[in-house]
Amino acid sequence: MAVWLTLVIGGGFLIYIPEIPILEQTARNIFFHVPMWMAMFAMFATSCTYSIRYLNSPNPQFDIKAESAARVGMIFGLCGLLTGSLWARFTWGTWWTFAEPKMNLAALAMMIYVAYFVLRSAFDDEDKRAKIAAVYNIFAVTTIPFLLYVVPRQLTSLHPGADGNPAFSEITAAELRFILYPAMLGFIALAFWVYDIMHRYQTVRYHINPEQDS
Amino acid sequence: MQIDSTAVDTLTKAYSEVWAGQESVEEMNAIVAFMYSNDLIYVVLGVTLIIWSVLLFFMIRVDKKVASLEEKLNSEEP
Repeated sequence: MAVWLTLVIGGGFLIYIPEIPILEQTARNIFFHVPMWMAMFAMFATSCTYSIRYLNSPNPQFDIKAESAARVGMIFGLCGLLTGSLWARFTWGTWWTFAEPKMNLAALAMMIYVAYFVLRSAFDDEDKRAKIAAVYNIFAVTTIPFLLYVVPRQLTSLHPGADGNPAFSEITAAELRFILYPAMLGFIALAFWVYDIMHRYQTVRYHINPEQDS
Repeated sequence: MQIDSTAVDTLTKAYSEVWAGQESVEEMNAIVAFMYSNDLIYVVLGVTLIIWSVLLFFMIRVDKKVASLEEKLNSEEP
């Protein structure tokens, strides 16, 4: 995984890319900005899966896994927002714009997940916390496709993928895909590795001190 | 017929000749010009550095949490 991602990052800088006005070299950002969101989706999907499994059979291990995955997803979402903001500054001319639905809805999605952690911290009782957090998490994950796929596509936007266009269509140059798809794979793998470390840590801590939530 | 030609841009007059944002734009110029140089390649560098620093920050935090856990374990078992 590490070698793969190293090659991807190197390749992302080195390969020849077609010239696109305004974007110029920042077209390479697609190799880093877009996989952040893909990694976030993968983490939130994992988190949701474990929340459903928790409701099926209330095993604290599932709750720990759901929480860890949501946490790692947040980190990648934060990376996505920050990189998007920097990219916007030099191509759209502003750090943040409220005329851009995808940007604002992505921030809203982050807020929904912030609420997940706030909700967790509001309970002292472990079973209650796990159960309510699981229910909320399933609600939170259902908003993600609407906030980041369905609604932005109905509105005009500076982002690719708006105004009824799919984001990855003939407008994405073929050369970019050679790195983009491996980059998505690499960063999703990185996210799973961080998640693995995270939930193992949480599990160990749970066995030492079950009362405390992070 | 009377044409009201005076009601233009009262805001600048009311406050000052200089817009508030102007000064910081001048200050930022060197950094911004650097970012725009070489077909914006430094923006890509910035993006990779953001990802690197956020992930690094996160991993350092996890490292510290694990360390405090170890400390707790060691202090419990003499």
